[in-house]
Amino acid sequence: MSVSSSKKLTYILRAELGKLVTLPLIWHTLIGAFILNLVLAAAFTSAGLQEASGMQSILNIGLASMGYLQAGFIILGILATCSEYTGGQIRTTLTTIPWRGFQLCTKLLALVMITVPAAFIIAASGVLYTFIMMRDTTVVIQIDTMLRTLLGATGYLTLTTLLSTAIGALLRRTTPALVILLGYYFIVSPLWRDYLPGIRNYFPDTAGYYMFMPTSSDEINVLSPLQGTGISMLWTMFFFTVAIVFYRRRDA
Amino acid sequence: MLTINNLVKHRGTQKILSGISFKARPGRVTGFLGPNGAGKSSTLRILLGLDRATSGSALINGKPFAELHNPLATVGAALDGSGAHRMRTGRAHLNWIACAARLPRSRVEDVLDIVGLTNAADKRVGSYSLGMGKRLGMAAALLGDPKILILDEPVNGLDPEGIRFIRTFLRKRAESGNTVLLSSHLMGELAETVDDVVIIKRGKIVADGALEEVIGKHATLEEAYFALTSEQAGDAR
Repeated sequence: MSVSSSKKLTYILRAELGKLVTLPLIWHTLIGAFILNLVLAAAFTSAGLQEASGMQSILNIGLASMGYLQAGFIILGILATCSEYTGGQIRTTLTTIPWRGFQLCTKLLALVMITVPAAFIIAASGVLYTFIMMRDTTVVIQIDTMLRTLLGATGYLTLTTLLSTAIGALLRRTTPALVILLGYYFIVSPLWRDYLPGIRNYFPDTAGYYMFMPTSSDEINVLSPLQGTGISMLWTMFFFTVAIVFYRRRDA
Repeated sequence: MLTINNLVKHRGTQKILSGISFKARPGRVTGFLGPNGAGKSSTLRILLGLDRATSGSALINGKPFAELHNPLATVGAALDGSGAHRMRTGRAHLNWIACAARLPRSRVEDVLDIVGLTNAADKRVGSYSLGMGKRLGMAAALLGDPKILILDEPVNGLDPEGIRFIRTFLRKRAESGNTVLLSSHLMGELAETVDDVVIIKRGKIVADGALEEVIGKHATLEEAYFALTSEQAGDAR
């Protein structure tokens, strides 16, 4: 990359970051996800205290809210792209940054810069709460296991956000994108898992679970965390490539 | 210089533009007139790289918009509405544009002052009136101090003071050698502001020339416009 291109990237990345952080909806979504996750972690911990113990249980209970928490990150991803189509902002964006593929990639990068720390903090807060409440039930604290699991959860939430961003870029409207993605993650996918057991591990959400799902001795995991990450990344890259092709070709 | 050459645009089976050609020259204000749905906005959107032409070209200083090295410093554009998200403040909107175009923050304050929005800059765009939204769009267009301005209905929604400001401002820009292309429905206003007129009807140019030439034997630009765009008038020049 030439000096000029790298400078251009820096300025445009800063602009895309500025766009995201000055949009109150982004903050409302992240704060809402943080609070909801803590409430769910408290509920799951309260239920789990009756029967569970050990480090593995702390991670299981602390991350039990991930299924619901992903909704917040789906909304975050959709908002990042669909907000461009509110008030005709897309016209301003494309007359300021007319290199469409470059602009969308930069937006994605800016979103990653916000999502990674936010996802880590939110996921860690649930685990930390559970750990504090259940610390008497475990003797050994396996920091490396906890960190690996949290990084996996962060990766999963980040990839879910990026996939939602791509769907948002394709559909351009918040409500249809929300209906399709939330419908898939909360209705279609759980149903498919029962009807299509042979391929269920290859869906973006089920494959993604292996990125952070703690392995248990009595369960045969079909995918390793690395395989889960790879399949999730492939889904995200596929939708993002389709989104870029459409974004470049169609009228704004 | 803006050069539209044999521009054709189809949307589905509908023909929006049927091979239109015209130029907007430096040092002159060019008015782009036509009824609703005639193809004015489509032409401006293609010129700005927002829509793709089916065939033909729309060039800015000989280049398509996407090939401009520094678009905001070359062309300032204000299309319909503010072009800003309603939940962001006016200042935040201008700040990200300035950042993307490598312009100093002080330039944001300058343009806010030029369009008279300094006091409302920290309010959310959703609370702006139609006229304030227009002013914000104009501020964004002026950020890069461009040599070319492309404005869609710039005085729509403005109060008399705002209309007067735009008229004076655009005349000054043109007199300094800049190119101004604007579309408008307000015939009386346009006659006060423009040097050249292009009239489009159903995707075809029906008049193109200096204001006096287009008015011709008619008493006013409005009369000439209606004579050229009425159902009885010929479809093309």
